[in-house]
Amino acid sequence: MKAFMAYLESKISEGKEEIIVLEADGRKDDGNFAKVRTNIYDVCRTISRTLADRPGAGIVAVKAQLDRFRTGWSAALEQAKQHDDIHAVAVEETKLAALEDIIAHFPEVTEA
Amino acid sequence: MTQENALKLFKCLSDTSRLCIIQSLTQGDMYTELLAERLELTPPTVSFHMKKLEDAGLVISRKEQYYTVYSLNRAVLEKSLYEVAASEPEQIDEQQKREEAYRQRVIKAFFEYGKLRSIPVQRKKKLICYELIAEHFEPGKVYEEKEVNAIISPIYEDYCTVRRDMISEGIFSRDGTRYVRQK
Repeated sequence: MKAFMAYLESKISEGKEEIIVLEADGRKDDGNFAKVRTNIYDVCRTISRTLADRPGAGIVAVKAQLDRFRTGWSAALEQAKQHDDIHAVAVEETKLAALEDIIAHFPEVTEA
Repeated sequence: MTQENALKLFKCLSDTSRLCIIQSLTQGDMYTELLAERLELTPPTVSFHMKKLEDAGLVISRKEQYYTVYSLNRAVLEKSLYEVAASEPEQIDEQQKREEAYRQRVIKAFFEYGKLRSIPVQRKKKLICYELIAEHFEPGKVYEEKEVNAIISPIYEDYCTVRRDMISEGIFSRDGTRYVRQK
């Protein structure tokens, strides 16, 4: 779990730097998407911290929460696509891409 | 071009990514995935930028099989900066403009993809929501109660409350089980 948390920390720092660079480069909208992405790593770090140490919860509970996020955001993405809401599609796809990256690192780092 | 459109255009252009997209399109028409690859952006992000460029009238899209192909709208891009900057403001009453902006904010807050999230507590906001729902009804046409319910229920679960409120607000007139939209 330590390695996983370190991974999330590194992605958050990376994201914060990216936001500064994008905004300085006159790419405010791309910066906003970077904020969305960074926020997902931040949210996942918070729930991982909270649930992993809670008695009776642990790593399984963290994984279950990540899966719940995936279900909810996938549904939101589908809805946005159905209504041709380009902005919402971009936001939901950004959130899901970050979440998939987090999930992909989850077992790998916890097994290590 | 109105001053509002000119402002939209300038705001749209004040973004490096969108300027890069326009620069790429000067070399030829392109589809989202190709632009994403060239500009190292994700396809959803490019789609987002394309929507803004299209809304500002800077690009035109067309469907080609599975792809949406974008091209520059030369009619707008070839206008002189002087011509765009000197655009006249649209002749709309300021009060009317403020009211419309307020209406749009209320709709955005209380509706999601055509569904009412909750009935506003404030009467002014409630009226805006009900007037929007009323647009699903033809003025003057007689509707049976079950028809009214069938139209309102996909918009809001508690269709009875909405229907009753719309009568008390004078949006509908009722004669037994028959309803007519009044405004």
